[in-house]
Amino acid sequence: MVARLTGSSVRRVEDPRILTGRGRYVDDVTLPGMLHAAFVRSPFPHARVQGIDVSEALRMPGVRAVLTASDLDGVATDLTPVGPPDLLLAPFPALARDTVRLVGDPVAVVLADSRARAEDGAELVEVDYDPLPGVGDMDDVLAGTTAAIFPELGTNVVHRATHRYGDTDAAFAAAERVIRARFEQHRHANVPMECRGMIAHHDPATGVLDVLAAHQSPHALRLHLADVLGLPAHAVRVHCGDIGGSFGQKFGLTNEDVAICAASVVLGRPVKWIEDRSENLMVGGQAREERVDVEAAVDAEGRLLGVRLRLVLDQGAYPKIGYPATGYVSIVRALFPAAYRLEHLDVESVVVCTNKATYVPYRGPWEIETWVRERLLDRVARELGLEPAVVRERNLLRPDELPCESTTGVELQGFDPRRTFDDALALLDVPAFRARQAAARADGRLLGLGLVNVLEPAPVTPSLIRAMGIMAAPRTVQEARARLELDGSVTVFTSQMPHGQGHETTLAQLAADELGLTLDRVRVVHGDTQLTPFNMVGTGGSRAATLASGAVVGAAVAVRDRVLAVAAELMEIAPADLELVDGHVVARGAPEVRRSLAEIGRLATMRPGLANADGRPGIEEVGTYLSEEGTWSVATHACEVDVDPETGLVHIDRYVVVGDCGAVINPAIVDGQVRGGVAQGIGAVLLERSAYDRDAQFLSSTFMDHLLPTAVDIPRIEVHHIHHDPTGGIDYRGVGEGGAIGAPAALTGAIEDALAHLGVRITEQHLPPGRILELIDDVTAG
Amino acid sequence: MSAPDPAYELDVELSVNGEARRARVEARRSLAELLRDDLGLTGTHLGCEHGVCGSCTVLLDGEPVRSCLTLAVQATGRAVTTVEGLAVGDDLHPVQQGCLECHSFQCGFCTPGVLVTAAALLDEVPDPDEATIREALSGNLCRCTGYESIVEGVLRAAELRREA
Repeated sequence: MVARLTGSSVRRVEDPRILTGRGRYVDDVTLPGMLHAAFVRSPFPHARVQGIDVSEALRMPGVRAVLTASDLDGVATDLTPVGPPDLLLAPFPALARDTVRLVGDPVAVVLADSRARAEDGAELVEVDYDPLPGVGDMDDVLAGTTAAIFPELGTNVVHRATHRYGDTDAAFAAAERVIRARFEQHRHANVPMECRGMIAHHDPATGVLDVLAAHQSPHALRLHLADVLGLPAHAVRVHCGDIGGSFGQKFGLTNEDVAICAASVVLGRPVKWIEDRSENLMVGGQAREERVDVEAAVDAEGRLLGVRLRLVLDQGAYPKIGYPATGYVSIVRALFPAAYRLEHLDVESVVVCTNKATYVPYRGPWEIETWVRERLLDRVARELGLEPAVVRERNLLRPDELPCESTTGVELQGFDPRRTFDDALALLDVPAFRARQAAARADGRLLGLGLVNVLEPAPVTPSLIRAMGIMAAPRTVQEARARLELDGSVTVFTSQMPHGQGHETTLAQLAADELGLTLDRVRVVHGDTQLTPFNMVGTGGSRAATLASGAVVGAAVAVRDRVLAVAAELMEIAPADLELVDGHVVARGAPEVRRSLAEIGRLATMRPGLANADGRPGIEEVGTYLSEEGTWSVATHACEVDVDPETGLVHIDRYVVVGDCGAVINPAIVDGQVRGGVAQGIGAVLLERSAYDRDAQFLSSTFMDHLLPTAVDIPRIEVHHIHHDPTGGIDYRGVGEGGAIGAPAALTGAIEDALAHLGVRITEQHLPPGRILELIDDVTAG
Repeated sequence: MSAPDPAYELDVELSVNGEARRARVEARRSLAELLRDDLGLTGTHLGCEHGVCGSCTVLLDGEPVRSCLTLAVQATGRAVTTVEGLAVGDDLHPVQQGCLECHSFQCGFCTPGVLVTAAALLDEVPDPDEATIREALSGNLCRCTGYESIVEGVLRAAELRREA
């Protein structure tokens, strides 16, 4: 196979429809007889629901029904989170039955002829609340002063576990110095530009529930809905059109999913719900709220001898169905050493429940391990008077130390732990930067340089899953199908659910190359549980580049083999003497002897047994791919900033990413993934915050409060690729998450580097201008 | 409290992408709802419905406006251009062609607002520099790309217009 498309930035298959307004997002679809839904939501963080009066709402013209918790009895069970035994979990209803547990908790759903009428109706639903104390601060939970938000659990500390690797006592006893710090990461959110939404249609005649949704994992949503609604899984179809981004938010099962589907069951009509932005910011899902206390034992040269971590994660009120909080703390624990030499590590993990929105996966959900580790390395350098790059060099594994197993049990192989770092340092020229920094300081300008090494499991490797200790089956399998059509084109069915990643292009590139086709002769079908292979994740976890590619290539090769077998019968030429070229089966060395794929497809489909000796009609084949060790994407990010001490504004002068994600299928798409992730990390540091007060009242429900980066906030981002040890075959690795993982560490590191000589130390991640000024004032006032 | 009557309706007549259109709408109906729900032009997207994200941007007599904050009745007698109106037949508008060549977008949700804003910019400033483009697009949030590819697409569009 000669790769003609794979490896080049071919234009995206998705773009002609997206650029002309012909995409089909869930809100673009209207069904006959469809009702529109609006939710009545709690304005209180925590309250008893004493009564609900829907009579006024029902008198509103156009309002057809108002459903509350009791209307769902017998239609839908409570949502029931599942997790390991050491995570306390309680079921909860889709619509609050007697207690609301966060601002935005749905209490009732109004169904009307239009969305506007549904919202009119929602305003007229009167709910009698008896407020309870709200819990908005993890310290209040840890102090034991809060009443249990789920009384049946008896506590708001829902998980506590300690893992010890090596012997930290000995490491600390031998330390030249012990460094302690508390690092706090603020709650922020995925914020896809398209909010959540679905159209549910339960047909009373057939008993089939048809759900059109914006969702990353249609099969998982199908199984969750079947469980909660008591329907056979095969009677639930979930399909998706175009999806306006997600970044981890449109996963699992939510209250609204259940309420909307139940409403359709009750009313026997299609029901559409399109989340508005305030709802999305309030309850669409939030992430990242974690705090880590670190103690590090180091030697005089800045080598990490041992580390003790205490991680506290605030999961909000309701656990995410399908994503137990122990998944996050365990991957943070297992990945913490990354590609650094660290033998002795203790990790205490605590998960608390508060009256906030559900903690959901957000692009690189384990990002705190990178941020804390790299902040710690900067702190070590600062305390020992060393260059931060030197401290990293001394702690990074050397190439000759791989393959090896990290102290947490993760197999490190298939990458060079130094190469991206060395290349980034060469691009940056640290000594030259230090000279510029010193000269700038003399002029009253504050320049800083930040560095971070990112090790992204892309996809998660079997040893990492074992090290997390949460699943029985460490290897992940993915399936794809490919079908030769009657016109000689090929349709590929993937279990991926792209929402911006461009899989209609990248997977078609791979299949087209295997089959000797042009890109426009391969169509990629995704996102329909009646058509596409089973997969509980869909798109997420940076899995597609390896797993979907492997499955699609496998299916395409199987189609090629059968095409050649059929052609061999027809042409009376051995398969080994045939090849696929431009949509034809061609005799090697005699290109005039050929049959078109269309002819092969028609014969194999319509005359089974004639040409295809096995009698199996058509040519539709399956490919499967099983995850392996070594699927790491590595990257080094470097960031140069100019901090204005008068305004607190941070200007990013330069941002460089040097990455190794193996072979690249489509460079423009890969670079877009990296840059988009970096932009989200920059936004997290300089702008974004899901703000609550101490009583858990929500304070940031519009884009005037929850600020997102604009075109003037994000710099150009230089992306450089290297490819260590090409292996051929399925040598593609994911890049979906690394950008977002590296940027907060690189940027906060650069800001500290700019301010360190004043005495500022950065231990928090949210650094809007006002906070920068406070930090400067705090050290200069004293 | 008694329910307010939202049923007060008005006639709207306007030009959309060069075509005369009319509809009878609730007085409170937004231009975005008119376009999407009454006229079937779903290319215009609603990302925040409070005038910040820019996904719903359309051109009203050639000027970019937030169609979520513009009432349908305010468009009476005026000309609206949406993303569906940028291409002429199969010929993409230069901003569409530029963005196609530069892999400008990912999920496509912010796209309609960015494209019409960029089209208006190039009508006014045919040869913008990068800073001008970034400033002009600073009212259009994109969550996928980090903007660099969009800036490249608009720079390419300016080049295509000069070549045309």
